[in-house]
Amino acid sequence: MNTIALNVNRRALEALAEPRTSLADFVRDKLDLTGTHLGCEHGVCGACTVLLDGVPARSCITYAAACEGADITTIEGLDEDEVTVELRAAFTREHALQCGYCTPGMLVSARDLVLRLPDADERRIRVGLSGNLCRCTGYVGIVRAVQSVIEARRARNIAPQADGGRTSLGPVGSGRAALGSNEQPPRPARQEFAPASDGVAPGVIPDFIPATVLEQRFTLPHAPAKVFAMFDDIAGIAACLPGVSLTAPPSPERVEGAIRVRLGPIAAAFEGAARVERDPATLSGRIIGIGTDRRSHSATQGEIRYRLVPLDGGAATTVELSIGYTLTGMLAQIGRPGLVRDLARRLVAEFAGNLDRHMSGASPRETTPAELSFWSIVSGVVRARIARFFGRGDEPG
Amino acid sequence: MKPAPFGYERPRDLNSALSMLAAAGGSAKVIAGGQSLGPMLNLRLVQPELVVDISGLAELKQAELRDGELVLGALVTHADIEDGRTADVTRGAMRGVAANIAYRAVRNRGTIGGSLSHADPAADWISALAALGARVALRSLAGARVMAIEAFVVGALESALHAGEIVEAVHVPPRPVSAHWGYAKSCRKTGEFAHAIGAVLVDPARASARVVIGAIDTVPIVLTDAAELFGGRVAADYKQRFDARVADALLAKAGISDAAERHIHVSVLKRAVHEAAA
Repeated sequence: MNTIALNVNRRALEALAEPRTSLADFVRDKLDLTGTHLGCEHGVCGACTVLLDGVPARSCITYAAACEGADITTIEGLDEDEVTVELRAAFTREHALQCGYCTPGMLVSARDLVLRLPDADERRIRVGLSGNLCRCTGYVGIVRAVQSVIEARRARNIAPQADGGRTSLGPVGSGRAALGSNEQPPRPARQEFAPASDGVAPGVIPDFIPATVLEQRFTLPHAPAKVFAMFDDIAGIAACLPGVSLTAPPSPERVEGAIRVRLGPIAAAFEGAARVERDPATLSGRIIGIGTDRRSHSATQGEIRYRLVPLDGGAATTVELSIGYTLTGMLAQIGRPGLVRDLARRLVAEFAGNLDRHMSGASPRETTPAELSFWSIVSGVVRARIARFFGRGDEPG
Repeated sequence: MKPAPFGYERPRDLNSALSMLAAAGGSAKVIAGGQSLGPMLNLRLVQPELVVDISGLAELKQAELRDGELVLGALVTHADIEDGRTADVTRGAMRGVAANIAYRAVRNRGTIGGSLSHADPAADWISALAALGARVALRSLAGARVMAIEAFVVGALESALHAGEIVEAVHVPPRPVSAHWGYAKSCRKTGEFAHAIGAVLVDPARASARVVIGAIDTVPIVLTDAAELFGGRVAADYKQRFDARVADALLAKAGISDAAERHIHVSVLKRAVHEAAA
């Protein structure tokens, strides 16, 4: 808990909050200012929009601790605000709300448009309101209300202010905190998750139908029989897989281990077990795994099918991989399959390079700190569904 | 939808921030405006032990002309650029890009350095700044280095940043008076992440063109000499000479196997070329 001092609706105040407390939760839970609404909690819906140093900001993805010293105005602080008074009347007149959930954020964004837009251009108003979702009205009344207020004010010769009155650079709300120390911070006390070696590996590894399947292939300058023999060396293969470690000596049919994957700042470590099947007649095989990431409470099932195809009259081999996975839990919220494809491509390239070096007698290259891991048991993981959250768009550009 | 607990530090200057990052050894995340990291923290996709908030560092809020280049501190926001609070050596190109990033409430906090560090292929600056020929300045306790934007982004959400290193500034070269600029993107919903980005800087007077095809789920395609897209030479009639087949082949080579997807990218690029020629 930290003491956070800031100005809310022109009142200086202090309250205790954890660093992870959003500005929205801070004003709602600590100050009882429940007019600020939370919808999506990841910056998409706009219900939580408040004024931070006089201009709109998302209070759900702005942490209260980052606003030390800042001026916050919530919908409660706009009761007497001249523009908001006009907007309220216009919203009433145009029937610009029904359930009212989006209205506090909508009014904050609308006020900003009234101040900044030169005229009541419908397209610009719609674009300007695109970050505030309303599920009731279809926006027609809201747009009309905003148009009418802009028209009325420009008719009264009130000039627009394109920059919303802001003069300083940097994120709004930042820069007025008492500056911290330059000492090393104490290591945050954080709950450590027990090593997952006990009882984590499932006894039975079931078949499943993967939610996502990717095809990858690469070639190796070695004969298919030699590559197939290599695929039987579980420990050797594991050493070639970036991010993979074994937690128990493998048998020909079963392997227990962990895979670490990273996609940008998203990191996961899945521990589990896999079943290994091979068919010498067709030079093909299958590895079916199941694992859990304790930190994110996510679970994955993955399957790698491989088939070796002779190339150049049997002097070289094409390795055809089919990687399938299903992901559940926290990490399943990721919904940008394309980003995961890019990760898988990099991982497979690294795996292929390591495999070639291994078969040529060299040791696998030290894995980069990026911990790229191919095992799509995992990589799939990440690939799975960033979309839901990424898919929308409070990107920083 | 609440983040897992994390430690929080607000360093007093850049050196303290770098020391904290170095000491944390990879378990810390830098936060600036938080418009990308915030959602990921809330969704618990990211669970750092320590968050180092650099948003108060005045050193990173500078914007100045230096040796003819515009040097933007990492904490300059999209809205700062949109509103013209920083000088614009690109004759409106950067202002136009900034004004169409996400939503105003996001632009008021989201920073140019944060966006680059996040290296999301669908974000605007990694494509726009690559087309403009900008460079990024990185700093760690070990020192500083500068690299081209196109070298900085190495994969989806992967940048060239080392552990303990942060983006300090962006260096933007002036856009010559004779250089045309075009920028187009396709979003299903206004403000959403782009599904295709085309950025072109064409200078018929110097027979040069830089072209970026972005938002392709991996490192953008950056052509520093894009004559091949215009039948082998860049001249005043480049709009007519634009060869969609070459763009399509580049996308296929970059691994975009879906013809419909390539069509969208080519169409958006064509829109950017037309805008430049308009």
